[in-house]
Amino acid sequence: MAKTKKDGVAHINRKKDTLTAYAFISPWIIGFVCFTLFPIFFMLRVSLTNRKLNGASEFIGLKNYVNMFKSEAFWNSIRVTLFFTVIMVVVTTIWAVIMALLLNQRQRLNGIFQFCYFLPSVIPSVALAYAFRTIFGKEAGLFNALLSVFAGKSVAINWLYDHSTVYMVVFFITLFTYNTGQMMMIFRSGLSDVPRELYEACDLDGASAARKFFNVTIPMISPLVLFNAVNGCVSALNGSFALLYPLTGESGNPDGMTQVLSLLIYKEAFSNMKVGYSCALSVVLFIFAAVFGAVLFGLSQKLVYYEN
Amino acid sequence: MKAKKVLAMMMTMAMACGMLTGCGSSGDTGTALAPEQQESATAGDAGEASSEGGEGGKITICTWNDPNPNEELNMYLQCEKATGVDLEVTVIPESDYSSKLNQMVATKDDSIDVFIIWESDIANFVQAGGIVPLDDRLSGSSIDTGDFIDAVAELSDGLGGTYGLPWCAATEILFYNQDMFDAAGIDYPTNDWAYADFLAAAEKLTQKDGDTTSVYGCTLPNVQTWWAGVGGAGDQIYDPSTGQLVIGSGAEAFVGDCADMVSKGIMPEPSSDTADLFASGKAAMAWAGSWNIGTYGDSLGFNWDIATIPTNKEKYNTLHTGFYTINANSKNQEDAWKVIEYLMSEEGQTINSKASGNMSALKKIADQGAWKVEAATTIDNWEAMTDSLSAGIFGYTCLPAGVTGNAVSNFESAAMGQMTPAEAVKASSDYAAETIGY
Repeated sequence: MAKTKKDGVAHINRKKDTLTAYAFISPWIIGFVCFTLFPIFFMLRVSLTNRKLNGASEFIGLKNYVNMFKSEAFWNSIRVTLFFTVIMVVVTTIWAVIMALLLNQRQRLNGIFQFCYFLPSVIPSVALAYAFRTIFGKEAGLFNALLSVFAGKSVAINWLYDHSTVYMVVFFITLFTYNTGQMMMIFRSGLSDVPRELYEACDLDGASAARKFFNVTIPMISPLVLFNAVNGCVSALNGSFALLYPLTGESGNPDGMTQVLSLLIYKEAFSNMKVGYSCALSVVLFIFAAVFGAVLFGLSQKLVYYEN
Repeated sequence: MKAKKVLAMMMTMAMACGMLTGCGSSGDTGTALAPEQQESATAGDAGEASSEGGEGGKITICTWNDPNPNEELNMYLQCEKATGVDLEVTVIPESDYSSKLNQMVATKDDSIDVFIIWESDIANFVQAGGIVPLDDRLSGSSIDTGDFIDAVAELSDGLGGTYGLPWCAATEILFYNQDMFDAAGIDYPTNDWAYADFLAAAEKLTQKDGDTTSVYGCTLPNVQTWWAGVGGAGDQIYDPSTGQLVIGSGAEAFVGDCADMVSKGIMPEPSSDTADLFASGKAAMAWAGSWNIGTYGDSLGFNWDIATIPTNKEKYNTLHTGFYTINANSKNQEDAWKVIEYLMSEEGQTINSKASGNMSALKKIADQGAWKVEAATTIDNWEAMTDSLSAGIFGYTCLPAGVTGNAVSNFESAAMGQMTPAEAVKASSDYAAETIGY
């Protein structure tokens, strides 16, 4: 009987602890349900209607999806999104690693360099994009003016409207976004944690700098590479809007070459007032992000090295 | 342990309170918009003093333009004084204006009493029951609806009643640099100028420095004036019966002409530049909205004048306006009507014309000429405005912005030689067909 009473008290205590734990995590759970889970289900439901921005709505089944798969604008944006995401992740990750390696060198004024390299990252993407839009203007752009000084003749390259230069400029600008700066800081902290003994052992074996980089540095920071790649993917899929909308417009100039899915979603919802259709597009974006994440985690099983 | 529980409870309650606050309904002065996306000001903020309140209630009107800083030209402030209605002006940035208003209608928001809505939205708002008919109120009013310019009357007919009253009537015109015309020995453009005259003059006015152009004959059409060119070349552009974009051979011809001028350096390429090439003296002519007269005023460093957009196959001009409407969810529709009635009165329309340089859509008031911007001292050809307005119709402005924006993007690609004019027209038409009628 005494044993049963003891068990009962223990059970009540466990229950209290469990409730306390739930109470602690409930703010996050409430937030997750209200601001993540509910919008996802609401988006799925609205994607089956012809809802307009003014609220008029009728259930139309899968018609939005059928129309979407027939639309050239949709397929173009899928191609652009795929290309943009892959290249942006590769370019920004490589750049962040390079910057982190440079900052990891023991030299004077390292803190100042780090501050300067990180500074553009804290500028809001929209402001950054507008600034670069002005810099890369054809007639009155600062960059063309600089080139003209060096070339000794008038240079008027249409950086953001020419098929051959637009991607180069857009990917260059992504190097200054918050995402890249954040990656650099993460790599920097990861690099400082790589054991020195490993490099010393390499030195004893006469390994070249490149060998040390690919056989020691990269494996040791590979979990961070995975983390940054996943973050970069999500950022490229969702965050690219803030960069591209002010830079190349909602139609993704020139000729739809920069019209990523997030831009098309905005255009359909807020310029064409087709909220139901844009929700169907958002479902595709959601699936895209999930697939990218799954692929990266799948690759990580083979490529990422975990010490423990 | 107890402290932990209390902490957990407090955090949960704080979260719940925050959510309830966020989801709470808007009060008399609240709006559904985030603070950074809108600015609110009483009509008197721009002037020295506001109304003392008076006998009327409080009304909120939304617009995309800041009230005029000059008290005499602030029509909202003058409206307060004349009607006794406390009038608050909510300014929503132009880029978000239409979408914000649509969201307000969707959520039955009542924080705005008077919407100034665009041509492309009025039919949707009527359909969604977001605005009220004004016919009954108009029958007992001094506003002479029979005096509206024809295009306005036609638009109301299509809605099955009068749901909005036009706050002004603006159009598109040709701006030209008189000094450059003098230097090139070319006669100034007239309101009868043919399109061929324009093409020839643009070529003559172009100045080159080696391979590059130092002064363009004309600026590239902007998002508005592409349509003046396309319509002038014979295309219908907007079919009121179907709501569809109707472009074809006219668009191909005009886009082809622009591509030709771009390739010869007579017109600049589309670019990310935000500079106004005409205002900066780098282009001799520009097709642009009449509202630029007020912006240029006496600030340009050269003599300039205006003329009607050159006539191609037909005289075509897009009419621009906005409509004063009453929010169906407004709790103060009587005072909202008082405000609209004042703004549409001779006094209200005259102040608006003086402040904006836009004409009144009421012909008798427009004829008085208050829209002739005093600061634009070099303009002789004021008839260009009335002449343009006589050819004005509601065209591309009735189409969804995404459709026209997409078409302009295609036209620009064609102007750069990245696609043919025929491909640009086809791509634009295909996109319009899949978008309109959704």
